[in-house]
Amino acid sequence: MTEPAVTVERLQKTLGKKEVLHGISFIAGKGEIFGLLGPNGAGKTTTLRLICTLLAPDVGSINVLGFDTRTAPSEVRRRVGVVTAEIGVYPRLTARENIAYFARLSEVIDGDVRPRVEAVLDRLDMREFAGQRAESLSSGQKQKVAIARAIVHDPAVLMFDEPTSNLDVLASKEIRDFMVESKNRGKSVIFSTHVLHDAERLCDRVTIIHEGRVVATGSTAEVRGAHRDLEQSFLSLVQVS
Amino acid sequence: MRAAWIVYRKELVEILRDRRTLIAIGFSALATPIVLSIVTQVSTRTATQVYTLGYTGTVPTGLDLLLTSTGLKLERVDDPAAAAKRQVDLAVAFLPGEIDEYYDPTRQSAQIADVRLQVILGNYNAAKAAAALQAKGVDPAILTPLKVVPHPLSSPAAAAQNTFLSFFLPYILITMILTGGFSAALDSSAGERERKTLESLLLTPAPRSRVLLGKIAAVTTISLVAAIAAIASMFIALSQVSLPSEAGNSSHLAINPVAVPVMVMVALLIAVSFSSVTLALGTLARTFRQGQAYVTPLYFITIFPASIILFIPDFNPGLAYYLIPILNAVLVLREAIVHNAVDWAALGVTTFSLVATGLLSWLAALRLFTREALLTRS
Repeated sequence: MTEPAVTVERLQKTLGKKEVLHGISFIAGKGEIFGLLGPNGAGKTTTLRLICTLLAPDVGSINVLGFDTRTAPSEVRRRVGVVTAEIGVYPRLTARENIAYFARLSEVIDGDVRPRVEAVLDRLDMREFAGQRAESLSSGQKQKVAIARAIVHDPAVLMFDEPTSNLDVLASKEIRDFMVESKNRGKSVIFSTHVLHDAERLCDRVTIIHEGRVVATGSTAEVRGAHRDLEQSFLSLVQVS
Repeated sequence: MRAAWIVYRKELVEILRDRRTLIAIGFSALATPIVLSIVTQVSTRTATQVYTLGYTGTVPTGLDLLLTSTGLKLERVDDPAAAAKRQVDLAVAFLPGEIDEYYDPTRQSAQIADVRLQVILGNYNAAKAAAALQAKGVDPAILTPLKVVPHPLSSPAAAAQNTFLSFFLPYILITMILTGGFSAALDSSAGERERKTLESLLLTPAPRSRVLLGKIAAVTTISLVAAIAAIASMFIALSQVSLPSEAGNSSHLAINPVAVPVMVMVALLIAVSFSSVTLALGTLARTFRQGQAYVTPLYFITIFPASIILFIPDFNPGLAYYLIPILNAVLVLREAIVHNAVDWAALGVTTFSLVATGLLSWLAALRLFTREALLTRS
């Protein structure tokens, strides 16, 4: 495994009256694609929200590139870009304005905002609709806006929460290609999904969560073990747990 | 403060592209002239309207001329009591040495006709009595042993103007600040959750207090723009209304110079305070519609104190009453408009009250904005 980018230790979290996470631990390395896998309701989104400091852990700790999420949340946010499961964009702003807004809020200095936004528009092939208001964009185009605003401040860690769940085949492929490209640029990519086929194709290492507990962690090959694929491995692990 | 400024600018752009907010501001600007125009037309029509006076018997000599010249048209009827119900506005039976009057007090036309009739009969009786006394060589002045000489300290026109402005101005100011910022506040809070943009916004390194500050500043700006549009259009409309002055010339309604800075200060305080309250309530809501349900009662709660001067024109409370938000603003504005003066103690308490309301609302909004349930509550 490469040097750790995100270290999660004995994480526990209760939301309302439900204990969502029961002491999970894993490490995501620098420059790798790390998959956080599990069925719906396993605790994947809660884990990602804890890593990016939207929620605070009840017990346990999270370290992102040397910064503790509890004591240095702003430092963590500066280094993390998140594409959330629900794509929300400001409908009355153009795609370009949406991205520029997040660039400014992410402390990109004024003189750099425009070149950074234009570079991201080029990288994600968004020129064609950059001047359109977000309310008129397709789901795939909105997803690109969501990705663009998450990477415009050039974070070292990228997190995707169920990035392909609402997209068609072509848009899903673009997202997968983008994750690989980010990895090749030296970024750490963490993505949560319940589509194990996607994870198998993309991830260097995975952690499988079931009912708030880690049931397997390691390289994709290690977790697959003797099974035909990750899905078979997952099913056997869930039955055992 | 850079983050607050970034949020402020973005919110303003979004608000100004929102049809709902533009309609609210447009309504603010147009509603007042339309209402004033209707009120003026109705008043003018009422003053010049001719009412029908049904009668039986013989009209006393000269009285018919007086009645006709005062807008009471005579019409002979068979049964004055029956005619006064629908056929005519008022009916009388002229009997020897007596006039029986029939009218329905529930009809506004009957009330106005009655006032006119009483004035004419009073003058007619006084003239008749004076003529009779003079014929007998007695000075008619004996009828008025105590002559009243009025010395009004301000012109009746100015008094009417101040009464009108002291009610309408605070009312319009407060309602337009509230309605003008209503949509913007909900869009900026509940709308953020509804559009699923809140999570991404909170993921940025910008401190949440600054994000909230930028939103409150934007809503305050829009509220003030709506209020300014409403008041400016009111004065433009009023400039078309002529009032009689002492010299016989006509004048127009105008606000006195003391009231202007007081109005600006009070408007700013109310706008900041209301923006914080509506944003706090909007933050509780998950959708724009749910936010409307939370904020609408606030509108009615605030309209009540704003209307109090209509129902109790001479309401002169102690300083403690100036702690009540909105009521205090209305009272301070009335003082400035009617008396052309500032009650500094009252203004101080009002400022304290509105600043405290704004601060408490801001803290409430911040608390709501920073809690985990904002994201996890389904």
